Amino acid sequence: MAFEKTAAVLAAGAILATAGARAEALDPALAIYRPEPGIAGTVKSIGSDSLNNLMALWAEGFGRLHPGLRVEIEGKGSSTAPPALIAGTAHFGPMSRPMKGAELDLFEKRYGYRPATMRVAVDALALFVHKDNPLACLTLGQVDALFSKTRRGGAARAIARWSDLGLGGDFAAKPVSLYGRNSASGTYGYFKETALAGGDFKDSVKEQPGSSTVVQAVASDRYAIGYSGVGYRTADVRIVPLAARAGEPCFEPTPQTAYEGDYPLARLLYVYFNLVPNRPLDPARAAFVAYVYSRQGQEAVLKDGYYPITAEVAAEDLAAFGIRREP
Amino acid sequence: MSASATRARPPDLAAGGEPFLFGLGGALLAGLFMILGVLALILWNGAATFWPRPIERVELRSGHTLAGEPIRSERFRPAGSAAESRRTLYRVGNYDLYGDEFRWVDEAEIGRRDRPGDLVLIERLEWGVFIGRLVGAETAGRALDPADAEAFAAVHAEARRRWRGMRALERDAIAEVNRRIERERLDLRRLELRHGAGSAIVRAAADAAESRLVHWRAEHGRLSERLERLRSEDARDTARVVESGGREVALKLSAIVRFYPANALGPLGAIRVYLSRWAEFLSEEPREANTEGGVWPAIFGTLAMTVLLSLLVAPLGVMTALYLREYARQGRAVAAVRIAVNNLAGVPSIVYGVFGLGFFAYLAGGTIDALGFAESLPNPTFGTGGLLWASLTLAMLTVPVVIVATEEALASVPRSMREGSLACGASQWQTIRRIVLPRAMPGILTGLILAMARGAGEVAPLMLTGVVKLAPELPIDASFPYLHLERSFMHLGFHIFDVGFQSRNSEAAKPMVFVAALVLILLVAALNALAILIRARLAARFRGGQF
Repeated sequence: MAFEKTAAVLAAGAILATAGARAEALDPALAIYRPEPGIAGTVKSIGSDSLNNLMALWAEGFGRLHPGLRVEIEGKGSSTAPPALIAGTAHFGPMSRPMKGAELDLFEKRYGYRPATMRVAVDALALFVHKDNPLACLTLGQVDALFSKTRRGGAARAIARWSDLGLGGDFAAKPVSLYGRNSASGTYGYFKETALAGGDFKDSVKEQPGSSTVVQAVASDRYAIGYSGVGYRTADVRIVPLAARAGEPCFEPTPQTAYEGDYPLARLLYVYFNLVPNRPLDPARAAFVAYVYSRQGQEAVLKDGYYPITAEVAAEDLAAFGIRREP
Repeated sequence: MSASATRARPPDLAAGGEPFLFGLGGALLAGLFMILGVLALILWNGAATFWPRPIERVELRSGHTLAGEPIRSERFRPAGSAAESRRTLYRVGNYDLYGDEFRWVDEAEIGRRDRPGDLVLIERLEWGVFIGRLVGAETAGRALDPADAEAFAAVHAEARRRWRGMRALERDAIAEVNRRIERERLDLRRLELRHGAGSAIVRAAADAAESRLVHWRAEHGRLSERLERLRSEDARDTARVVESGGREVALKLSAIVRFYPANALGPLGAIRVYLSRWAEFLSEEPREANTEGGVWPAIFGTLAMTVLLSLLVAPLGVMTALYLREYARQGRAVAAVRIAVNNLAGVPSIVYGVFGLGFFAYLAGGTIDALGFAESLPNPTFGTGGLLWASLTLAMLTVPVVIVATEEALASVPRSMREGSLACGASQWQTIRRIVLPRAMPGILTGLILAMARGAGEVAPLMLTGVVKLAPELPIDASFPYLHLERSFMHLGFHIFDVGFQSRNSEAAKPMVFVAALVLILLVAALNALAILIRARLAARFRGGQF
């Protein structure tokens, strides 16, 4: 069809124009998204705050390719996604952690099947300190001793002062000021599971309402440490390299260390949606899913500071949803 | 000389019978100080944000060069040194190349710095600002000398005009075709739900729809081709720019929102940039996850919601108060209702939000969807937050204010006037309509103004009932049925929260928070001023028409 050809040319042009140095990190095998005609209506997303900006970037790009289609984004925490999907108030539920068993069960009880899972991006959870903090490396055990009161990571005693981590100067005498996310957040859940081995947070962790708020708090508190998504880094904070165990090398969060699992706090970001088995998705949602896995969609991931997924993951997921796509 | 002027105030205030004068005046002063302080902070930060800053080129001792806008500087003690040093935060831009938009530079590392006139700041549609030098440009296959500023600006303006034309083509013509095609699909689905898939009616309708769809698809193809022609024209207008490190990048001219030579900008040029940035902020859609572009959808959403809220709350509140004050027999039941209304004004607003979400969106909206919009299920139409539900929730939140104010206003109408009217043979309603309401109108309108001001500044319940981070389409537009009460919308108050606490780059977002706050304050002030103006007019009219 003549239309498809023009659309392909359009999409290719858009990619060429924006390809900068960062785009080199994209898997070249990711397909270019080609818009089909006749897609209109509303796509609504409710869920993760970590994915809020990414969803907004997707909404902008996708909306531009499909005039007449509205994408509405709401993001107050990963835990708001499952209830919205179950109540049917949202089409997509972005989450920065996988759905828990209980949430999956509730969904299944309502619909009789499980929600479809999109793996949309790779995030590295980073530990941020003030830009003047000279801390060279942390092990997961030390992170646990910093943030947890139950210390399931096996540390003998809690770390309360910067001198416990070997810092001198004005840091030595100061207590560590801890910042984290609120409990509705998937980042909170993931950090609790992975870094704290399921243990409890110290009561002194100051819970923040957003990913960006953690970074802002650390930026203004010289003796602070906090965890948040790597994409939220600013010039006022530093990321501390992490090691899985004592004696192992420390890794900065980069796409390579995240993909290969060297960086211990790398995670996948998810978007869930209601996919009725053996029935095709409605056109608007199918198009949005295809867009997220496309070159343009993954370029937005880069723009937001996260790491894109590979073409292999994209192909696997799309096949699982029964969405056909030209190579 | 009058006697009062010659008599000096006694130095001891207590002796003059006014022991608390300083305390009372001091309280007022403290209040004024706080309010003016907040306003000055927002005004100063908000008004200065869009002013173009100079760009410094910094050569470091390491041989590295960078260029950026100096944002702020601070003293600090470098690691392992006893002496304090200074460092400056530069906004270096070029996020697509550097992966950073801001960078701290230690003064001790700086070899040389200057402000060359040929450095330009380019605001792009994507990836934020670019800072560098213009080295070449091309339009329609021929080279253009970027030193010829006038010719270059003309070509850029033409490219932007073409880009806006393309946007309009997409947003109006192509969007309409897409909506038609979607409507055909939904109509067919509705028939399927009613008569069963594969029934004769559905098959006949599908055939009829197919013939229409052929037309719409052809129309879509035609429009797309036109768009494609414009795009290929557009792709031939490019500029080549070099960043301070020497890397060269080609930019499409239409993707450049604005550019200016920051160091060679006269005061007139600076004012032009400043005003054009304000114009963009007030009239454009947000870009790049709300960190750039404008806030027009948020301004419009705030306005639409406030107006709708006033329309809903005014009749409800006034009628309730009329019944309570004029008709109901004053007794324990009415007293209890009055206490309940007063207490309602003290319920935290988030509770209203939860109620609005549960009752309006889920229950009422879900029922409307099941009855009227079954064809789009499981996609909700009214069964999720939207303009109507948000306005209704805020109307509930503010109705006590209107009831209380109206009751007060009604009570202040002298009893003798009512009795006079009744004695002349007027019915109770005629008395209320002709005598009581006109006199009470200024008081009622004051209550409405208070309700509006409270509603416009409220954010917490809106987050649950229909305000979203991004909803670029306005709730009122040229597509049937014009007023889309079911749509989610953007709100300035939520926008401030979102940009301030949720954007990826909080450093870049901070100034935008102040600008958005400034706009919100001005908007609420303007709404109040308008309401006060209307009240003054009404009061004057009723005063004239009474006797």
